[in-house]
Amino acid sequence: MSSRVVRIGTVAATVLLLAVAVIGLLRGGPAPVDRAYELEQRLRCPVCKSVSIAESGSDTAVAMRQVVTEQIAAGRSDAEIVDYFRARYGDWVLLDPPARGSTGLVWLLPAAAAPLGVMLLLTRRRPEPAPALSGSDRERVSAAVERIRAAEREDEL
Amino acid sequence: MTTVIPAAGWAGALLGLAASLVLAVLGFRVQRRPDAVRHRQLHTTVWCMLGGAALAMLALEVALLTDNFALAYVAENHTRSSSLLFTLTTAWSGLGGSLVLWALVLAGYTAVVARGVRSTDDRLGTGALAIMGVVGVFFFGLITTAANPFEILAIPPADGPGPNPLLRDHVMVAFHPPMLYLGYVGFTVPFAFAMSALLLRRGGVDWLRRTRRANLVAWSFLTGGLVLGAWWSYEVLGWGGYWAWDPVENAALIPWLVATAFIHSSVVQLKRGMLQAWNFVLVLATFALTILGTFLTRSSVVVSVHSFSQSAVGPALLAFFVLVLGGGFTLFALRGERVASLSRPESLASREGLFLVNNLLLSLFAFVVLLGTVYPILVEAVTGSQVSVGRPYFDRMGVPLAFGLLLAMGVGPFTPYRRATGTVLWARLRVPLLAASAAAAGVVLAGVRSVGVAAVVALAVLMAAGTVRQLWVSVPGRRPGDLARLLRGQRAYWCGQLAHLGVALVAVVIAVSGGLATRATVILDRGESTGFAGYAVTFERSEEHRWPDRLVTDAHIVFRSGGQVVRVDEPRLNSFPGRPQAVGTPSVWSTPTRDIYVALADLSPERITLNLYRYPLMAWMWVGGLLVVAGGFWAVSGRLRGRGGEPVPVAEEVATRV
Repeated sequence: MSSRVVRIGTVAATVLLLAVAVIGLLRGGPAPVDRAYELEQRLRCPVCKSVSIAESGSDTAVAMRQVVTEQIAAGRSDAEIVDYFRARYGDWVLLDPPARGSTGLVWLLPAAAAPLGVMLLLTRRRPEPAPALSGSDRERVSAAVERIRAAEREDEL
Repeated sequence: MTTVIPAAGWAGALLGLAASLVLAVLGFRVQRRPDAVRHRQLHTTVWCMLGGAALAMLALEVALLTDNFALAYVAENHTRSSSLLFTLTTAWSGLGGSLVLWALVLAGYTAVVARGVRSTDDRLGTGALAIMGVVGVFFFGLITTAANPFEILAIPPADGPGPNPLLRDHVMVAFHPPMLYLGYVGFTVPFAFAMSALLLRRGGVDWLRRTRRANLVAWSFLTGGLVLGAWWSYEVLGWGGYWAWDPVENAALIPWLVATAFIHSSVVQLKRGMLQAWNFVLVLATFALTILGTFLTRSSVVVSVHSFSQSAVGPALLAFFVLVLGGGFTLFALRGERVASLSRPESLASREGLFLVNNLLLSLFAFVVLLGTVYPILVEAVTGSQVSVGRPYFDRMGVPLAFGLLLAMGVGPFTPYRRATGTVLWARLRVPLLAASAAAAGVVLAGVRSVGVAAVVALAVLMAAGTVRQLWVSVPGRRPGDLARLLRGQRAYWCGQLAHLGVALVAVVIAVSGGLATRATVILDRGESTGFAGYAVTFERSEEHRWPDRLVTDAHIVFRSGGQVVRVDEPRLNSFPGRPQAVGTPSVWSTPTRDIYVALADLSPERITLNLYRYPLMAWMWVGGLLVVAGGFWAVSGRLRGRGGEPVPVAEEVATRV
């Protein structure tokens, strides 16, 4: 009886606590997003080695960050700001490659590989029934088993 | 006199090359006919290979220590003003020297393998030695041709520029590269045994058993190398992060992911006899990916903060990669049928089923990282246009996979083999689930509004609580000795759990430090203050110091709390003669609850630009990494004792004790 109470209590407590967490997250709304920082992380620093302008201390990156801040203040959307830099530096400036054109495949291939992997995981190959042993094979197997058993008996003695 | 040392090094490299060649020939011959070669011959050959590599390395170090600028390698990578430590580490700061280190590590692993080959009748072992010989031929070949560090200059310069500034600024250069190499090169051993088993048409667990230790050693070192690399990047590069998804970082991560998958899938084969063919694929892929990684690092195809060298070894490495991939998979295709296991898991809801899920997730992760890394190179090769794939891509692809892995780690180790019923799973997971939801609620009530942070904390607590519960129900008694006995007896399992806990800790830190970080860029005139993270931050002054090998400009940044000075940070800029690029050294103020990271963006005597970061819990990331490495090495030490013995299938035993 008491174990049942414990069990139900555990379920109830788990559900309650999860509900608290979910409601708290929903009511809190999305965390404030630092739009400038998010954008800066998506733009590649043109004079550095494979880092975004958010991470670079170079003059170019500083100037580009300035542009991002100004354009956000001017009320431009993220897409407009990204397009502004793309027009100047080409697709190369986007660390977040667009899902079309020459960078489409980089998104498409994993999207294709994942279901393929899941399918491989779920398909179960039925083991083929092993062919029946011929009479002579059967005798050889039992002789071998008998030999091993005899050897083990000897070991024990 | 100046030519004796290079000649000795050159002779060592040639000796290594010849020995590798002989080892390959002898090994293949003796694998086919065990009486064709005497056991002593094989061992002598391996010792020659190791001796040659050691001589080459020693000659290089002596040349560096004696400022022998007649050597091209010394002239290009060394400077007289280098301290002793950085003089020694210069031996692997350039291309040729790092290949010598590679060859030395390879020869060392070969010697360890040779010690395990007790007689020429051990055909699996002799075949593996032959494969290691082939790999040795390639690397010693590189040292003696395309990347020869022992070339002699007709007119030696009086002094050299020294190593790349990044490679002479932090003591980590003495640990991170050798550890990575011990990891990278170690994967040659499982590869060699797998190839040997395929040549012999012999599946089974023999090759797995014999390579588990080498594989674990390599994996633990690679893990350590990755963690140290992240720490180095955080402490030195000054951009405020530890992982940039840089091609060269990825090149080390991809084999790690595949090798991690292999560690798990080899357990399935040992315990349940499944996944035999898949294990061959993983081992082959791991080794091929280390070669590809070296190609990415050592050729100029990628622009990276880590590409310290550019040379003609690129095409050679690429050719070797194609050879390994082509040769390996051809052999596998021809022989795979014979080594494949026919049985499959009864149900996905079982330990082996979750191992499969883990393998799928890790393979996908490796695939995504590989694709993102080589995609720009491929696009440029095909269309000529330049594209970038960076952090946003890797984050978006990697985060869901990482959550899947965390979930698998929270459930898998507590799931029984064969088939798990709902009742059993619920019995084992209800307390951990309760703890996880309590943690999630606690985090949210504490004011965290990030779904990612709450979810990661919940999953980490699920993992930790599950481990503690498992320990509690498995301990036979309540005396301290009982616990020690349990941990020793089921060492493999508990080492795994220790590593998992480390991963959980790292995941929490990644989520928290990323999700709850505070950043600010401030411009301060001398004497001016600003507020950051509850402190008044003042730029007091800036000073120049002339060190033996560099000019250092530092800024004194004072942190005050309630009027009291609590900390003086001195981030600096280092300029090296003969190197245009100044290297910043950020200042990290680390406490258990948070790091405050101060990096100089710009500096003049009267005005500075500072990047300030506050990362909660950051210091725990290195503790987590240490736990993962400790788990790996602890597991290795266990195998030394249990040599040859069948490990007790503890999980089954545990399963009955729910």
